[in-house]
Amino acid sequence: MAENNNFPKSWKKSSKPHKFCPGCGQSLALKNLGFVIDELQIADKTVYACDIGCSLLTWDMFEIDTIQTHHGRVVPTMVGFKLAKPSAITIAFMGDGGGYAIGAQHLINAAMRDDPITAILINNANYAMTGGQMAPTTLVGQKATTAPNGRDWQKVGKPIHGPEMLAEIAQEGSYIARTISTDIADCKTKIRKALQNQIDGRGFSFIEIISMCPVNWHTDALQSLDFSEKEMTKVYPLGEFKCPQKLA
Amino acid sequence: MPAKIIIAGEGGQGVQTIAKILTKAAKKSGKNVSYLPSFGVEQRGGVSLAYIQVSSRPIPYPRFSKADFVVTLSSRSCETIKNFISDNSLVIYDSAEIYEKDINELKAEIKRFVAVPAKNIASEKLSTKVANIIILGVLSAQLKDISFQDFQDTVLMELAAKIKIKPELKELNNSALQMGAEFAQNYESSDHLTGKSPDETVRSFENDKVKWTRFPEYCKGCSLCILSCPVKAITFAKDLNFLGTPMPIVDMEKCIGCGKCMQICPDGAINVEKK
Repeated sequence: MAENNNFPKSWKKSSKPHKFCPGCGQSLALKNLGFVIDELQIADKTVYACDIGCSLLTWDMFEIDTIQTHHGRVVPTMVGFKLAKPSAITIAFMGDGGGYAIGAQHLINAAMRDDPITAILINNANYAMTGGQMAPTTLVGQKATTAPNGRDWQKVGKPIHGPEMLAEIAQEGSYIARTISTDIADCKTKIRKALQNQIDGRGFSFIEIISMCPVNWHTDALQSLDFSEKEMTKVYPLGEFKCPQKLA
Repeated sequence: MPAKIIIAGEGGQGVQTIAKILTKAAKKSGKNVSYLPSFGVEQRGGVSLAYIQVSSRPIPYPRFSKADFVVTLSSRSCETIKNFISDNSLVIYDSAEIYEKDINELKAEIKRFVAVPAKNIASEKLSTKVANIIILGVLSAQLKDISFQDFQDTVLMELAAKIKIKPELKELNNSALQMGAEFAQNYESSDHLTGKSPDETVRSFENDKVKWTRFPEYCKGCSLCILSCPVKAITFAKDLNFLGTPMPIVDMEKCIGCGKCMQICPDGAINVEKK
């Protein structure tokens, strides 16, 4: 069999094909994360935690020590691990449901305390695993199973802007950014910076990755790309909201 | 005694669709019926199971350990159905989808079987998407208690929403069901299990600068590579990946080896190498 250079060395071979739906942006983000872990050569000292939701499908994604927790508790779990073993590189991987809704307090307090972990959050504008309900990140007017006429901001508020919110309370050594899974170069650079910030021991690192969910958006590949790259980036601008000078 | 039926396959192959049709057809024929879907947390992919019991008397419990009819649509589900096969079970399987090596591993368990090349029949005469309905047709010929008319009516009723958008589906599904039933009537049992021979798909394509490789065991047919190609060299081919969806194929005369398809593939199923 021909060698596959498109397969990160840190990915577990026996669990592939992975469990994500065809065209999922989350798996694309995880491929980028896998390549960055390979490049930084940190696979042997990394601990990876995944949250509940679609992100739990990554519990056998990597050839790395993995923990699975519920509803945003990846952040305090990884903070605890880091306190007990400061030489470890800890990655907390979650979705917008775990990070911005049920488990929001963990993320906010970790940012406030400047805990030296890396948190990666996937924003696909709905609760994907449970069937496409409205999430805090659902765009105004976007249809979801619990908002059949589209999100009405006068009743349920406007979409949450995580990185902007965390940048307000985070301290100087933090790295906070937003990227999109389909822009491979940008996505990889920001993941690398977020991990480098932790390796250098500066402080809290957080990136939000805009993703696609063709199954729950009921879109084909082209419409999904259009929606994530055009509609979502209009509401959620890409960029670095906080970046230590040495990383920039 | 109730007729116990287990249907297994890959999520997305239409296991639950045929299970629902069978359940509703049995109800329409005045039988008692129980249906228990069982699948993983994922919305696409993964092994999907359906437990069905049809009886003229009340059914006390929906699960069972041995089945009278074992239907399997994919190689990965062969391992799962192993425990449900008894000496009296009739195993109905898609011989155009399941690898010979996988079905042969069950040789010791299987006493009676019907090998249906459903995917080949479907792709040659109709459309690959109705392979599951052909299997249902074969199953309908075994279940004498439920009239064929009820099956026909329920297929159209269950797919009514889709038929409304695409009217040609009505004829397609109807002929698929009939083809399956005819196949079962004319079936002559052989004594050896047949299946798909391994690796018939072409993996690598080359020109003087680039080697382009695809991996059917990883590809999910999301078509992101097709959209990302700047020179429109990639199209869908007729051969299928492990999920039963079309796989991309590249026109090496156009390919410039930029590697965009490789980068955007979420499954790591394309490799582009410059020479």
